[in-house]
Amino acid sequence: MIVTKRSLPRRTLLRGLGAAIALPFLDSMVPALTRSVKAAAPIHRLSVVYVPNGIVMSDWTPTAEGAYELTPILRPLASFQDRLIVLTGLRNGPPNYAVHGAASTRFLTTEPPLASTGSIVEAGISADQMVAKHFARETQLASLELSLESPFAGVCDVGSSCVYTDTISWRSRTTPLPMEHNPRVVFERLFGEADTTDPKARLARLASRRSLLDSVADSIADLRQQLGGADRVKVNEHLDAIRDIERQIQKVEEQGARELPAVERPAGVPATFLEQARLMFDLQVLAYQSDLTRVITFMMGRELSGRSYPEIGFYEGHHPTSHHQNDPVKIAKLTRVNAHHAVQFAYFLERLRSTADGDGSLLDHVTIVYGGGMSDGNSHSPDNLPILVAGGGAGQLKGGRHLRFPEGTPVANLHATLLPKLGVQADRFGNSTGALSGL
Amino acid sequence: MRGIAAPIVMIALAGAGLTGVPAAARNASVQPTTPDRSLLDRYCVSCHNTRQQTAGLAFDTKDVGRVGTEPRTWERVARQLRSGMMPPPGSPRPDPVSSQAFAAALEAEIDTAAAASPRPGRPVIHRLNRAEYANAIRDLLDIEIDASSLLPADESLGGFDNIGGVLSISPSLLERYLSAAGKISRLAVGDPTIGPAFASKTYEAPQTVFQDARMSEDLPFGSRGGLAVRHHFPLDAEYVCRIRLRRNILGYVRGLTDPHLLEVRLDGTRVKRFTIGGNRQLAPAPLSFTGVIPGDPQWEAYALTADEGLEIRFRATAGPHVVAVSFLDEAFEPEGVLQPELTGLGLAYSEFSSAPSGPWGPSVDTVSIDGPFHATGVGETPSRRRLLSCRPATADHEEACARQIISTVARSGYRGTVDDKDVNRLIDFYRAGRKDTASFEGGIQAAVERLLVDPRFLFRIERDPPDIARGSAYHISDVERASRLSFFLWSSIPDDPLLEAAARGTLHEPVTLETHVKRMIADDRASALVDNFAVQWLALRQLRPVTLDAEIFTEYDGNLRDAFLQETQRFVQDQLRQDRSVLDLLTAKYTFVNERLARHYGIRGVYGNHYRRIAVGGERVGLLGHGSILTATSYPTRTSPVLRGRWLLDTLLGAPPPPPPPDIPALPSSGEHDRKLTMRQRTEQHRRNPACASCHVRMDPLGFALENFDAIGRWRTTGETGEPIDAAGALPDGTTFRGVSGVRTLVTSRPEEFVRVLTGKLMTYALGRAVDEDDMPAIRAVVREAAPGNYRWSALMLGIVRSVPFTMRQAEP
Repeated sequence: MIVTKRSLPRRTLLRGLGAAIALPFLDSMVPALTRSVKAAAPIHRLSVVYVPNGIVMSDWTPTAEGAYELTPILRPLASFQDRLIVLTGLRNGPPNYAVHGAASTRFLTTEPPLASTGSIVEAGISADQMVAKHFARETQLASLELSLESPFAGVCDVGSSCVYTDTISWRSRTTPLPMEHNPRVVFERLFGEADTTDPKARLARLASRRSLLDSVADSIADLRQQLGGADRVKVNEHLDAIRDIERQIQKVEEQGARELPAVERPAGVPATFLEQARLMFDLQVLAYQSDLTRVITFMMGRELSGRSYPEIGFYEGHHPTSHHQNDPVKIAKLTRVNAHHAVQFAYFLERLRSTADGDGSLLDHVTIVYGGGMSDGNSHSPDNLPILVAGGGAGQLKGGRHLRFPEGTPVANLHATLLPKLGVQADRFGNSTGALSGL
Repeated sequence: MRGIAAPIVMIALAGAGLTGVPAAARNASVQPTTPDRSLLDRYCVSCHNTRQQTAGLAFDTKDVGRVGTEPRTWERVARQLRSGMMPPPGSPRPDPVSSQAFAAALEAEIDTAAAASPRPGRPVIHRLNRAEYANAIRDLLDIEIDASSLLPADESLGGFDNIGGVLSISPSLLERYLSAAGKISRLAVGDPTIGPAFASKTYEAPQTVFQDARMSEDLPFGSRGGLAVRHHFPLDAEYVCRIRLRRNILGYVRGLTDPHLLEVRLDGTRVKRFTIGGNRQLAPAPLSFTGVIPGDPQWEAYALTADEGLEIRFRATAGPHVVAVSFLDEAFEPEGVLQPELTGLGLAYSEFSSAPSGPWGPSVDTVSIDGPFHATGVGETPSRRRLLSCRPATADHEEACARQIISTVARSGYRGTVDDKDVNRLIDFYRAGRKDTASFEGGIQAAVERLLVDPRFLFRIERDPPDIARGSAYHISDVERASRLSFFLWSSIPDDPLLEAAARGTLHEPVTLETHVKRMIADDRASALVDNFAVQWLALRQLRPVTLDAEIFTEYDGNLRDAFLQETQRFVQDQLRQDRSVLDLLTAKYTFVNERLARHYGIRGVYGNHYRRIAVGGERVGLLGHGSILTATSYPTRTSPVLRGRWLLDTLLGAPPPPPPPDIPALPSSGEHDRKLTMRQRTEQHRRNPACASCHVRMDPLGFALENFDAIGRWRTTGETGEPIDAAGALPDGTTFRGVSGVRTLVTSRPEEFVRVLTGKLMTYALGRAVDEDDMPAIRAVVREAAPGNYRWSALMLGIVRSVPFTMRQAEP
């Protein structure tokens, strides 16, 4: 049966980025034919969006269980109310010596940072990386780790390594993954060094690359006749590499009809938080849409972030204000910061919802964990974390609910529940004690 | 097939004396005579015989009168005897004098046989490594590229990253080459379609470097901190320079208490001056509460956004320009009660007196150069001048001009091995590019892009002449010799004079060769010998990266690390320039320091950040007094006599111990016992285990002799547990020595051995392959011939480029 490219085209306007242009991709491109065969099982993706320095819980947690009311911080997510599951009662382990480092490090690993000021860092493998390993063969990039703030070298929280506050992703116990904050670098990692996204230009570029490779292969063929055994091995290596790239080009050309919205390669880090946040979310949508990766972690801010948000009249610096000492004025300001983050997150959800994917939208086929590893920032509380799960989870998640769990339920139980939904066979994760019932 | 075969025969080149051969025997001038087989019969045959075949050797049937038939075997025998490794401990041994005489006789026989039938080896195709690629681009197109952003680092073998056998090519690497070729060719020709997304770049000041002084020779005198970058401006156009200042971990810009002047200069001319800081009406939070309790809201806002307006727009012509961003240096005196220096947490939190900022004021974090905007033309750049040797006046002239340009660049890029077919291939690309871009220069760009991915450019390829007998040794052509010379001495492609001499067929003539070698060593490009050879030989790429974790060594930061590397590189460079004896590496009574390094060494009277030559004595004489080496051979928390001993054995004495066996327990740390153990006491536990002892008995005493230097190279008299340093040691043969001067004497009293080690390393680097038994006659010859002039660098270099492995090649077997 011939199916005529029904998953194509999908030209979507990319907001805030100017014109929508189609863009074919290397590697990741699945010809429409094979894709439609798999249409029954949509691609399931994982996204983790982290917010630092705790949340004003009284303005976050709904009072009703099940169907819930919108609170001041959740209000920006109103149009997605039915796609969210708000989780209350999860705990991020016992208090630990580096309170901020522990919040971010334990969020996905469930393990506290190693108490050391040395160059040795250690925690545990993070849940997102379990999923990344699972999908590694399917996509060009196993995962993306992104942030909005540049990393620090040296020591941060109580003299522990800055790695603990800078990242939430750990490939192994001793390999923290750096978070990239420069959209240009992210773009290049996804799309190579192309700087125009005009599909004609890109196809022309591929064609010229092909002719380059053809011609180099000719040169090698000439050379080869003049070489001895060991040298021929090297030259064959080179020929193999050429053929490999030619196959990739062919793959892209074969499905040249597939169209995606695209961005110009960003010049660098945008000057404002808003621009940077939106650009980073746009790139995440693109990465999912093109199936270049299926796992993304994103820190809206690093733990201990002292960022100010002049665009909402918040000039003080996030971290100092988070030590509000129960001053209602400061708490009100913090709520505004928390809601400001939620506004950015809503933008991401909107972009996912308006991007078609298979039989539905990207939002249908993603599981998003949004939240942080600390509840009250004033006391660095690891109890009763602010977490919500968004998206359809490829048919496995039902939103519009507020679930309350017994106090002290490890956040690891959330990971242990989500991992199997994402195809990772794991009965438990870290210090999990079971699955979250009802999720 | 040598070089690709895996076994790493980084031969223990000598190592005599380190395991049991007394100095007397070594120093006895041994007259080579015919090897006497009675020694074999008495001491060797009991294990190595036809029946037992220990190690696959049977000496009862080997003819010691015909060493030349099995040179590799006998080379190994000589080495075992020279190093005293055989006969094994406990077995009867020949007296040292006869053992050394026997080895010398074997070597003489081997050398004679090698002279009669040379075995030069057969280097495999050699991909240019990253440094060679960048240098080749520089010399071909007159454009400096940041290779580390374009290409991945290369694999290395035996300490060098230019070993052909391990320089492989993968699809992802080829992708990088393809994209690099596109980028470089567009920049070189000056592609008018280049936009900001292509050319914008952000330069970061290293986070671990304190900006407390003038940071670079490209920054003005009287400046402090900042960053000077050499940026390639692709077009005549407008550019935007944005500066971000260093923040503390809470996001506050550091060092805002007092006003400071920040200057931006383009090629030395000031284009803008900003004032930053000093807004004293506003009150910050108290120092110890910063980041927890906000201060005045306006101060908070200012501290978080103080660098937002640091942005200027200017016009620049196409080509490389130096953009320099720095503060005006101002004297300051700390007020109030003198505070202890901050480390660890305080250092990270405080915005007043902490690293990487400090009491001197703010620091620059990044400098971004965005553009081109509103381009007015492609301008004239050095690369355009180099490349576009003709400019066609009319369309009729284009093809001829293109051919001229392309032939020239192909001759250099393909290193003299260009034929019509090669040029025509490039011309095809010129034509296609000419058509696609409707411009002559677009065509040239396409041809250059094609050239940069050609195997003739990316690989060093040597071809057997037609009709050569299989397996025979033959002299390489002068064209191949030109490349061997330039990649050895410059890590780059040959220049025109070399290619011309090769084309004339005179490069192999002794006088011409010597003239070229001396010319090349004197050329600036020979600094590659320092950056690539010396740095790798001395294992300085292991100099540990700096983090701000400095609980123990608070002084170790990026500035000191840079100064360490500068010292050693400038010193070796100077030795090479002056063509000193290579033994001077260990005995020279001078070095290069700046203020920071001088202070670290406790040397007075050196001010300012530039490096200068100063006289030194005592512990700082020669390389062994360099902080770079002493730090690279230490752990982050303490010295390691074992690492230092191993370094000495491998780098200077040519007797590297094998890697440790698996599953060895770590040394107990000094705190784990009731009483603190000294390093010496802890390390002596090695000797109790015979499996450890056989190597540690050689490594540890050498390392302990350097214990007067701490883990960052400072002189000390007490160790980490407070015990007085005992720097005395002895080799298994009873030779005793004390301290760094003792080690120095140990090495220089056996000049021949040290030179043999260095020659072996140089030979490895020059050939791009591991050296093995077959190369030993050549290495011995280089050493022998360099001896009369007291082993000058030029003698070693000349010896190597005249040697059999360098001038010859084995045809395919």
